[in-house]
Amino acid sequence: MHPRSTGGTTDRKRPQLRRLGSHLAVLPVVAVTALATACGGSGGNQTQNTPTSEHPVTITFANWADSEQATRPGIEDMITKFEAVHPEIKVKSEPISFTDIGHTMVLRVQSGNPPDVAELSGNDTFAVAATGALANLDSYAGDLKSSFIPAEIAAGTYQNHLIALPWTVNPPGLWYNKQLMAGAGLDPNSPPKTRDELMTDLAAIKAKYPDVIPLGLDSTNRDFSLTSNWSWMKSFGAQPFSGDKASANTGQMKDYLSWMRELAQKQYTSPGKKIGEFRPLAAQNKVAFVWDQPVLQGVVQSTNKETDDQFYANWGVAAQPTGTGGKSYSVELGHQLVAFNKSPNKQAAFTFMKWLATDPQAVTGYTVKYESSLPPMANPSADIAKVIGTPTLQAFARDVMPTIVKPEFGPTYSEAYSPIMAGVQSVMTGSTPVDSVASTIQSGLESAFK
Amino acid sequence: MTAVLQDTRTTPAVAAPGRRRRRRVAGVGVALIVVLALAWSLAPVYWMLATSFKSSLEVSRLDPTLVPRELVAGNYGELVGHSLPFTSYLVNSLLTSLIAAVIAVFFSALAGYSLSRARYRLRGVVGQAILATRMLPLVVLIGPLYLLLLKAHLLDTYLGLIIGYTSFALPFGAWMMKGFIDAVPREIEEAARVDGYRRFGILVRVIIPLTLPGLFTTAAFVFMDAWNNLLYPLTLINTAQKQTLPPGLLGSFTGQFKTDWGGMMAAACITSVPLLVAFFAVQRYMVRGLTAGALAGE
Amino acid sequence: MVAPTLVILAVVIGYPIVRAILMSFQRYKPLSGLPATNTGLNNYHEVFGDPIFWESLRNTAVYTFGSVAVSALLGLLLALLTENLGGRWRYVRSLLLTPWAVPLIVVAFLFRYMLDQDYGVVNAVLRHLGIIHSNVHWLTSSAWAMPSVMLANIWTQLPFFFLIFTAGLASVPNEVIEAARVDKAGPWAMATRIKLPYLTGSALVAILISVINNFNDFAKVWAMTEGGPGYSTTTLVVYVYRLAFSSFNMGYAATVGTIWLILLVIFAVLYIWLLQRKSAS
Repeated sequence: MHPRSTGGTTDRKRPQLRRLGSHLAVLPVVAVTALATACGGSGGNQTQNTPTSEHPVTITFANWADSEQATRPGIEDMITKFEAVHPEIKVKSEPISFTDIGHTMVLRVQSGNPPDVAELSGNDTFAVAATGALANLDSYAGDLKSSFIPAEIAAGTYQNHLIALPWTVNPPGLWYNKQLMAGAGLDPNSPPKTRDELMTDLAAIKAKYPDVIPLGLDSTNRDFSLTSNWSWMKSFGAQPFSGDKASANTGQMKDYLSWMRELAQKQYTSPGKKIGEFRPLAAQNKVAFVWDQPVLQGVVQSTNKETDDQFYANWGVAAQPTGTGGKSYSVELGHQLVAFNKSPNKQAAFTFMKWLATDPQAVTGYTVKYESSLPPMANPSADIAKVIGTPTLQAFARDVMPTIVKPEFGPTYSEAYSPIMAGVQSVMTGSTPVDSVASTIQSGLESAFK
Repeated sequence: MTAVLQDTRTTPAVAAPGRRRRRRVAGVGVALIVVLALAWSLAPVYWMLATSFKSSLEVSRLDPTLVPRELVAGNYGELVGHSLPFTSYLVNSLLTSLIAAVIAVFFSALAGYSLSRARYRLRGVVGQAILATRMLPLVVLIGPLYLLLLKAHLLDTYLGLIIGYTSFALPFGAWMMKGFIDAVPREIEEAARVDGYRRFGILVRVIIPLTLPGLFTTAAFVFMDAWNNLLYPLTLINTAQKQTLPPGLLGSFTGQFKTDWGGMMAAACITSVPLLVAFFAVQRYMVRGLTAGALAGE
Repeated sequence: MVAPTLVILAVVIGYPIVRAILMSFQRYKPLSGLPATNTGLNNYHEVFGDPIFWESLRNTAVYTFGSVAVSALLGLLLALLTENLGGRWRYVRSLLLTPWAVPLIVVAFLFRYMLDQDYGVVNAVLRHLGIIHSNVHWLTSSAWAMPSVMLANIWTQLPFFFLIFTAGLASVPNEVIEAARVDKAGPWAMATRIKLPYLTGSALVAILISVINNFNDFAKVWAMTEGGPGYSTTTLVVYVYRLAFSSFNMGYAATVGTIWLILLVIFAVLYIWLLQRKSAS
């Protein structure tokens, strides 16, 4: 349609242009292909039967310890030490954040590429167990099982098989600030034993120190938060659900919700906060009581640089104040280690897991030092016993450990926590009547379990 | 007409004093509003900077200090140290955002040119369909997209993420480029066609040079969108080393132990720099890019 | 030449849409290990009786239209007031655009820190000025959470509208302004009757872009409140994300998403029809 030029020069230009054009068209294709070959997915595992130090096997270790500032140096140190003791095994750490690791493991199981070992805790362990992908550790653990604290083994058992090796023991207890208690006229060596005593103490703190938060409690909408508060619900005789049966519309649950509302209205706590947000305040003596794990000590000391002795002079820990029924409750929020059926290196994986959980180097160098936690052994060896012989860890072992119960972990837990914690937040931050909130939680649970 | 304009434009030296005073008050009022607007815009940025230099004890005081008591560089030091994969996040964000911008601009230019010049019956519909995809609830698509990438073994890879970013950016990019190309007079193209260039050659040799600001603006928008995107990397990337800044920041600092505000603000400052650079580089052309499509094309 | 773009879009967007719509008729919970089963319209039935869905719809409307309205109005006001400033003003104006350039995740965490009830600077300043006596729970009370999140949103968006309107005002022909001045038009009449009509075109485009972006806004809300407390800041995006990736109720999540998609399509069709009518007149 358009007249073509007959000039010599433009004829020569055209083929050049065409080449240039086609070069350009090829560029993105080349770039995309180059990218595709350069980055693949996560590598596969070597399949070897007997690893030796000349032909070591590499196991992948998905964990969040390596993704957090506070614990990264510790876990990397542990991996180095383990590899020195076991030159036939190399460990490749895959850091995944704490909030993501649960569903990431489920998704990786579905896409067929789970790691060899994973660090999990709380309900995440059971969410992954429900996919059927976790290796049965009974045969690997053998006698080891009986040397562990029974509650810890129970916390890692699913359908009568051990699927999670307990690694760190970290249940929450009631921390109390002796300095603040003394200042408010309370006996610093006599923490509240019943919930009524707790309320009296909180009132005293609030009256004396208006800008101190009397009680630190996690009330976020996470499954971690439901687990932490499960013990408080139990102390009211309440249990929001059991298996796939919702039971949130009970009188006991309403009593619990009313209590949470009372805490918020009297400003005994700061609602909607993660427990981690109270810890720096505790380091400044701005929180009097904290429902928190042993890990509080590590965070406080790293924030305010107190020495151990200064810390023990300031803080003590006790079991949960009892409610109706006269019992204290706590839950196991510590970390566990799992292996996967699909892994061709389960033996090597278990060797690593066992080392992390029970070896004195690992316990003293990581469990206690970085996680401020107890090891899961019922009768630890002398050198371990010395390290965990601190006043606070002993209080946990003596007073808190026996009160551990296991929440209704399982597939329904991941769907249940949101309606429940949303309801808890609603009573703490709004003015909807408790009855109405309880029935909203109930219907939310029923719809989630359908 | 001009005479009248001249008359009214000059303000007589003996203007009513009331009017002069009103003008001065108005001037002061405007200045005040400008100062308020500046304070509103910049105060949070100052707070971010100030907090990034505070110690961890100072950032969690119940009574915050407006100016840091002691300037601590530790927060920044820890970011580049090995104890955090922050540098990985930064590199991953830079890499994926830049590559997505380049690829998206390339395809946007093609599509925009076609939408602007080519004559085919469904042109209007195609144009609107492309714009409509911009309105999609991305969070709904993320599940199936995840499964799609899973089958293609592109999950947890840079390529998969870039594909996600590019798809998200293409409709908007095509629309923007169309607007910029619309502004190029057709006569220039006609002249090139007379000289014997084929369609693609015209695009490369003629259109592109004339719409360079448009290309850069589109690239800047795609870059900024990709940089800001939380949802895609959060779900499509699983390992921390390949993660980009938004989900990385989300995970690192609100971890299990405590919320490290000082470190978070230091990371925030560094995260903001590339975006600020991209923004101020193409700031002049932004309005044209955004409105060109609607005002010129329709 | 538009073909490659269309192919990519068809694969990366078309396929997921179709798949999502299909999933909306299924019961699919990956954690259970069971495969997806067809349940017909059960999910849809459930959605209409789901109080959280309606709350998230309401929250999305409030968040989106509230933020856009306030940002647009304030942006317009600022543009009108600063229209005739010259010279060094241009540098000041660049500074005013800074909030728009700050990454969204940074905005979220920054405001979260500033609005924290215990160590936030906003509470401290308000207390020192005597405006409040005890800390306000900006992000952790049902009453204040949504306004707080909207505040951060408005902070980010205001420069966008300011820029659009400034450019729009600059394009008003001089003759028109002079003619109006000859007619002794006061500043109010000048603004509303003379200048505004010139801004409608760009305003409509800006509002459309803004509404779309706000509907999809995940980063800000998630990083600031995760949809809490309770469900008071749960927008549709947050709700679908929670359903899909916290509860792993993928079928139901797809249903909520599909309904949202239908709503948006209706909105988009109406809007584009309006736009075309406008440019035709």
